Amino acid sequence: MSNLTQAIWVELLKARRSRMPWLTALGFSLAPFAGGFFMIIMKDPDLARRIGMISAKAQIVAGSADWPTYLGLLAQATAIGGFVLFSFIYSWVFGREYSDRTIKDLLALPTPRYIVVLAKFILVTFWSATLTAAIYVIGLVVGAAVALPPASRVIFWQGTMTITNTACLTMALATPIAFFASAGRGYLPPIGAAILAVLLAQIIAAAGWGDYFPWSIPALVAGAAGSEAAQIGMVSYVIIILTSLIGVFGTAIWWELADQS
Amino acid sequence: MNSAIETHNLVKRYGKVIAVDGLSLRVARGEIYAFLGLNGAGKTTTIRLLLGMVKPTSGEARVLGTRIRLGEKKPWGAVGYLVETADAYPELSVRENLEAMRRLRPGIKPSAVDHIIERLGLAKYADRRAGALSHGNAQRLGLAKALMHNPELLILDEPANGLDPAGIVEIRNLLIELAREQGVTVFMSSHILGEVSRLANRIGIIHQGRLLQELNVDELERNRQRRLLVRTRDCQTAHAVLVSAGYSAKLLPNDLIEVKDDIALERPDEIATRLVNAGHAPTMLNTEQEDLEHYFLRLVGMHEGETE
Repeated sequence: MSNLTQAIWVELLKARRSRMPWLTALGFSLAPFAGGFFMIIMKDPDLARRIGMISAKAQIVAGSADWPTYLGLLAQATAIGGFVLFSFIYSWVFGREYSDRTIKDLLALPTPRYIVVLAKFILVTFWSATLTAAIYVIGLVVGAAVALPPASRVIFWQGTMTITNTACLTMALATPIAFFASAGRGYLPPIGAAILAVLLAQIIAAAGWGDYFPWSIPALVAGAAGSEAAQIGMVSYVIIILTSLIGVFGTAIWWELADQS
Repeated sequence: MNSAIETHNLVKRYGKVIAVDGLSLRVARGEIYAFLGLNGAGKTTTIRLLLGMVKPTSGEARVLGTRIRLGEKKPWGAVGYLVETADAYPELSVRENLEAMRRLRPGIKPSAVDHIIERLGLAKYADRRAGALSHGNAQRLGLAKALMHNPELLILDEPANGLDPAGIVEIRNLLIELAREQGVTVFMSSHILGEVSRLANRIGIIHQGRLLQELNVDELERNRQRRLLVRTRDCQTAHAVLVSAGYSAKLLPNDLIEVKDDIALERPDEIATRLVNAGHAPTMLNTEQEDLEHYFLRLVGMHEGETE
């Protein structure tokens, strides 16, 4: 399709030559280790206090040291940390063309602009999915290393599905960040937009309207507000799909129609 | 279709600012057309309009016979360009930057990358990160990207930017060779008249968004003012002698007499004879042609040392 394969190759080359894949992997890998840390503390809070892992005054979060809790923590980290990280990737992939002033070299080529945009979306989706998969595998290793009690196959299946579902929703919701990077011509506007989305998501979810605010939904699905709230309706899925499409088409239309001066 | 570029009453406004104001120009195929103007005159905006990077407020632009507008099949496969500064992906090597550009221009053989590296004298730096290149070599990389696919039309914004004198001569010769031997049309912007007069067939002068003048290089020669400068031991009296002889001589502050009459410029020996006969033999007699910078500044209504 109008040179899409070559455009993806070019985007992959730019990503491989940068430090960003390593930095994002490093950032995201904190999630399973933080989860493992919580599991150790939950297993024996008194021991953790005695050996100085936590302060004597520390209040331990509710829950037990088992696979369902641990996989739930990973899902919540994917919903919130994942969104920030995926937004960071979008900011870099789109915003760098403006910061490095290389955008002009992409605007008058036989490869249409929308193909370049599509190639960037494909790259970020692949990148985000790979990071999530890597974090999941690291999470399993860390969970085994902290000797969580054995769990049934159903629990693993459910935990895995929740993480997958949350990651897909989060990836879908990060597409508007590409628009902010393009219209804002750099890194800061998209990062600001992502932070604003996370803050609003917290407030709106706390007010009980989380099902209808796109950026609140993945955390609900991940179980951040309890297992009852995790059951979202079709409306929430429609909201997410629409938000994602607005992000993709908005960015493509911006590249095609807006003055690039 | 003989025009490589044609614009009709092209206008671009940014709010109240008119960057390009009713520009109509025509660049014939195979021609080297220099688009000359001061910084902020509207050169880069015109180039962006030609490349479809910004939309005109009114008017139209045609490039290689195609009107540049949404939904029209674009001629970019046959156009090479360099807009403003030559920028590249800093973490990619010179070769990788060119390879990326090659892949975004389908149909170019992989060998084109090595060929253009060789042609632009970048072989020594082929594996160096673009971010570590000198300004001049970054400019060469920008030109390499523009030239790699053997375009029919080259649109270059200040191509000599950052190049050392040897580099300027090299690029000038390369562009002349492309135009003469391969019939490539070159549309280049510059703010240095001296540079483009050695290269261009035609020159368009733009000021405050408007095309002031279009002229061939020989017309440029004719349009430049000439004057005769005379010095004697007593310039005051010598000046009076020349004025009484009917010349419109002018006494300059640095103890020189300036004469611009055609007859004086054609026969400076007559001036010398008159002055010798009057007992004021010239100690200097020099016919001077207005330099290109002065000509350009005169045309845009500015004086030396003045800023816009």
